[in-house]
Amino acid sequence: MADSIAKAIDLIGFDWGKEANTVIIKPNLNYYWEANTGCTTDPQVVGALVDCLRSKYGKDLTIKVAEADASAMKTKHVFPMLGYNKLAKDKGIELFNLSDDARKREKVSINGHEIEFEVPQSLGNADLFINVPKLKTMRVTRITCAMKNIFGCIAAPRKFVYHRVLNEAIVGINKILHPDLTIVDGLVGLGRFPVKLDLIMGGTDVFSVDWIAAQILSYNPRSVKFLRIAMHEKLGNPNGIVTYGESLSQFRQKFPKEGFISQKLLWGLQFKLLRLYKRVSGDVIPPFLEEE
Amino acid sequence: MIKVAVAGLGRQGMLHLMNCFHVDDVQVVAAADMSKKARNKAKSLGVKNVYEEYEKMLKSHSDLDAVILAMPNFLHLSSIQLALEAGLNVFTEKPLANTASECQQIVNLTRKSGRKLMVGHNCRFYDLSEKMKQQLNYGSIGDVEVVTAEEVINGPFAHPYVPTPVSEWWFDPKKAGGGVLLDIGYHMIDLFRFFAGEARVLHAYLGHRLNLPIEDTAIILLQSISSNAKGIINVGWYERTIFPRFDFRIILHGNAGYLSSEDLVPRNIYTHAVRVGMKNILKRVVGRKITPLSYTYFYESYYKELKHFFDCVRTGSEPSVSAEDGLRTIETIEEAYQKAEKAV
Repeated sequence: MADSIAKAIDLIGFDWGKEANTVIIKPNLNYYWEANTGCTTDPQVVGALVDCLRSKYGKDLTIKVAEADASAMKTKHVFPMLGYNKLAKDKGIELFNLSDDARKREKVSINGHEIEFEVPQSLGNADLFINVPKLKTMRVTRITCAMKNIFGCIAAPRKFVYHRVLNEAIVGINKILHPDLTIVDGLVGLGRFPVKLDLIMGGTDVFSVDWIAAQILSYNPRSVKFLRIAMHEKLGNPNGIVTYGESLSQFRQKFPKEGFISQKLLWGLQFKLLRLYKRVSGDVIPPFLEEE
Repeated sequence: MIKVAVAGLGRQGMLHLMNCFHVDDVQVVAAADMSKKARNKAKSLGVKNVYEEYEKMLKSHSDLDAVILAMPNFLHLSSIQLALEAGLNVFTEKPLANTASECQQIVNLTRKSGRKLMVGHNCRFYDLSEKMKQQLNYGSIGDVEVVTAEEVINGPFAHPYVPTPVSEWWFDPKKAGGGVLLDIGYHMIDLFRFFAGEARVLHAYLGHRLNLPIEDTAIILLQSISSNAKGIINVGWYERTIFPRFDFRIILHGNAGYLSSEDLVPRNIYTHAVRVGMKNILKRVVGRKITPLSYTYFYESYYKELKHFFDCVRTGSEPSVSAEDGLRTIETIEEAYQKAEKAV
């Protein structure tokens, strides 16, 4: 695994020359589900990245794995449940809750929306900030990878307040926070169901990584709204993206694409029908089915 | 008219509250929950009196006949005690309590009060459980030799449509009382008791895949005390299951045949929902009573158990799931915990 990560980093020509004493790694730990469900970053990938960093910067390098609390997830539970406590012990690294960090309020204007974020200060103070997202689809944004994982850095746990302008918020936070490096955990990807892709992907530009990720997930990147907004906001440009290593088609062929009809239309339709049924029949809807 | 209050308005309590509106001659007088959001929801459903404190609710309504309790596990004993001492009939969510000694106290309190107490063993009220029991009693599979009961789901880490916060008490072994064995295993052990009688534990394995202080995996081998039947209980919290998929099955293996829940559940929950939902709409149109939650198949059991409880309160008959049932199930679970500890 460490070899694969080192190879990916070499292929993209990442500049190791920068001096580094402190590194922050941001995995995607959005809920209490294990990596092989396709939902969260595999601690093995983070562990291999830690080995890779130590081989470059030496044993004294301070490495922190950081995640912020979310509306439904607490880092104090997710770290032990998903194997990060063990990883921290084995590798001598720190686990850090970004929600406990000093915060700075920052405002950006995206697509006519003024959006305010509480940004953890440690991310800007680290010598190296490495983004380690998962490769998966999501109903609202179609894809979740490098840029969406940066959205997970927002210190305030109640991130659902952004969900009405989620695409704009993703672009907004990426205008503030810029990881030096992105290593995508594509060992297991998540579409209609999880699938073993055995893929490690690297990049120095989150927009470019997501542009390629969208293609692997069988989407036209231009159909991904936050990528279109990012282009409009001059956060990225698809012209000139170059890929190295394996061909994308083998991963795309393997990936169980989430169809637009099943993902959006049928999904929304079933709730609309359920609510209509409730009104007409007077029947009960179990509370968990009303929470969409 | 039976006057009832609901305490604990999480998902389960809210479902009970909504079901109450569909039971004849039942009036929801009050509801209590710490959460303002839950209280507002109860108000929007037509509950006039809502309280932050359960005790205050009981004191404010001396005209109550019954209370429905859907509180966290560690509050079961104290909340049941208060209700019985107030002279109320009680429907409580499972488990009856966290330990056999607490359950025994509840059994004693119930006997002393002369009130009805029913525990929410809703799996017995699944349509499939009732059909399997009928077939078994009819003799169609002969003697039951092995009962396989399994349910592997998300447990507290359920994720219906949007990620849902997990209550902190689930992470505290003292408050939760146990893990998946107490949560889901409780139902499966009760189903074994339903089909094969009281059980003793032959072997128990507990797993901790998710590094929690409580078990997220339990595999228990049971032996019926009254027959030759063995039970294999397999429960877990580790599976990411998205509705409507439901990793549950029960199989009765007899010497003259077998019964499997998989043959009895609707093959397609969506077509089932449409078919049954249309029936309910027609009933509504012609002015007949609908059968609540029948379109969901499994969730109908929550309405059926509540209706049974209110029938018992009304007629004075004993609930089919008593405090003793809760006690026996917890005794088996405690035995399993002890056996698992010894095995380690």
